[in-house]
Amino acid sequence: MRNKPEPGILTWGVIIVVTGLILYLFERILWLVVPGLLALVGYYCLQPLVQALVRAGLKHRTAGKVVTGLLFLVTVLGVILLLSLATTRAAGWQAVTAHYVQGGLDFLGKTEAQLGEKLPLMKRSALVQSTPTNLDAAAGQFVEKYLGRLLLQMIYWLPSLLLVPYLTYFILQDGNRFKKHMIRSVPNAFFEKTLLLFDRVDRSLQSYLIGMVKLTFLDTACLGLGLWLLGISYPILLGLIAAVLAWLPYVGSLAGCVLVVMVAATDFPNELVTIYGCMVLFLCVRLLDDFVFLPLTVGRSLRFHPVLSVLMLFLGAAVAGPAGLLLVLPVLGVVAVITETLGQVLTDERLRKRYRHARQLQRTMAEVG
Amino acid sequence: MKWSFNFLRGSADDQRIENLKGLSLFKRLTARELRELDELLHERSYQKDEVIFDEGDTGLGLFIVLSGRVKIVSSHAALQRLAPEFGPGDCFGELALFEEEQRTARAVALEPTQVLALFRSEFVSLLERDRGIGVKILFELSRTVVWRSRKLLANEPHLPTV
Repeated sequence: MRNKPEPGILTWGVIIVVTGLILYLFERILWLVVPGLLALVGYYCLQPLVQALVRAGLKHRTAGKVVTGLLFLVTVLGVILLLSLATTRAAGWQAVTAHYVQGGLDFLGKTEAQLGEKLPLMKRSALVQSTPTNLDAAAGQFVEKYLGRLLLQMIYWLPSLLLVPYLTYFILQDGNRFKKHMIRSVPNAFFEKTLLLFDRVDRSLQSYLIGMVKLTFLDTACLGLGLWLLGISYPILLGLIAAVLAWLPYVGSLAGCVLVVMVAATDFPNELVTIYGCMVLFLCVRLLDDFVFLPLTVGRSLRFHPVLSVLMLFLGAAVAGPAGLLLVLPVLGVVAVITETLGQVLTDERLRKRYRHARQLQRTMAEVG
Repeated sequence: MKWSFNFLRGSADDQRIENLKGLSLFKRLTARELRELDELLHERSYQKDEVIFDEGDTGLGLFIVLSGRVKIVSSHAALQRLAPEFGPGDCFGELALFEEEQRTARAVALEPTQVLALFRSEFVSLLERDRGIGVKILFELSRTVVWRSRKLLANEPHLPTV
């Protein structure tokens, strides 16, 4: 196999600028981008099932309809269940959240007080002196301010989520046909390179999205098991939330850890060993992720140098907020693949010469005809 | 042979499957297998004298002639003598299905020509999910490669035969 030339600094400049522009656009149409992305995940997850049904003798269109029909049914049932739960238990959730926020803030205050005893410098800190009196009010304010908003956001996103099975259906039914149509419109000279481009984008997206789904399952299982052994409440739910939060590179893991520590501090306010045990558990799962799970699931797809990743996360957050944080690396990966391949095609003099020759032949034919 | 591939009407219609069945490379496949394979095939049309691929290009897939004729021009004399021309039903560029190496010959359409292309990466994914289809196609491809190797050796008496 021939080595691909490495993209130069100009190419990387173009990749970063285009990524920023796409993120800006995505932030404006997030209501469509999120279901679109979930539909892609659904497509990659369900495609093997459709292929299995085709192998069993069904026509491709029928197999697609059967599978997406099931997906639609599951989604509608899920939404109905979620809505009924949200309406009947909202008050209960608010109380539980307030309870755990309070527990987390108590733990924070206690830790600061202990630090103040051991380190005289910390004793004079304004934060330590003011913390105990502000804790109750802060917990109440936090719950009032954010939980209601979170529930409203969930209701706001539900119609968009209903788009997921609909989009998945069209990608499963006509995705391949649409791809073939696009390839047919490409001039013959660039045909093979276009196939290569589609293949690279498809593989990168598939291994990233499916890899992330597998990684979420693995993280949920490890964290759930660890938290259950430590005796923390809701181990699987907390593991799942922490694993989903980890989709946000770097900051997500930290947020997950803070959440679990908050719960542990409330369940076991006087057992520092359990609380620190949760932190150690997170550290272990993080290490497992980086050295075992990530290479096994996501592989090297869409993985960049850590410095570039961090810089791009800042760019993503600045351009598109939390959505930018989540989307920046996959978008960067796809843009990099497209730009690199387009760069190779546009700078290949042989291909351009072949294209000009074909155009010339077309003109000659038109004149003769 | 009349080819009317209209993807908007659905690619897996019976006539199309029958046409695929008529190609020697796919003659062992069942209708169900042909439908699955059909999802991966790309149809291209070339004008007279248009280059399909060039010597030195990175080979990415195999081509099958549906109609028209294709001339092979190579700087390697033996290859040039081996198969100077391909017609309907013939396949060429088959080594690109096995490895991403440079093409050893140039393929040019001698007249308005329609070909089907099978991209290596898509073929490999088909092999992974349905080995039955892969074995049948690879068997026919191996026969073609063996036949061409024998022909090459017959023209080059100084090469040892095994």
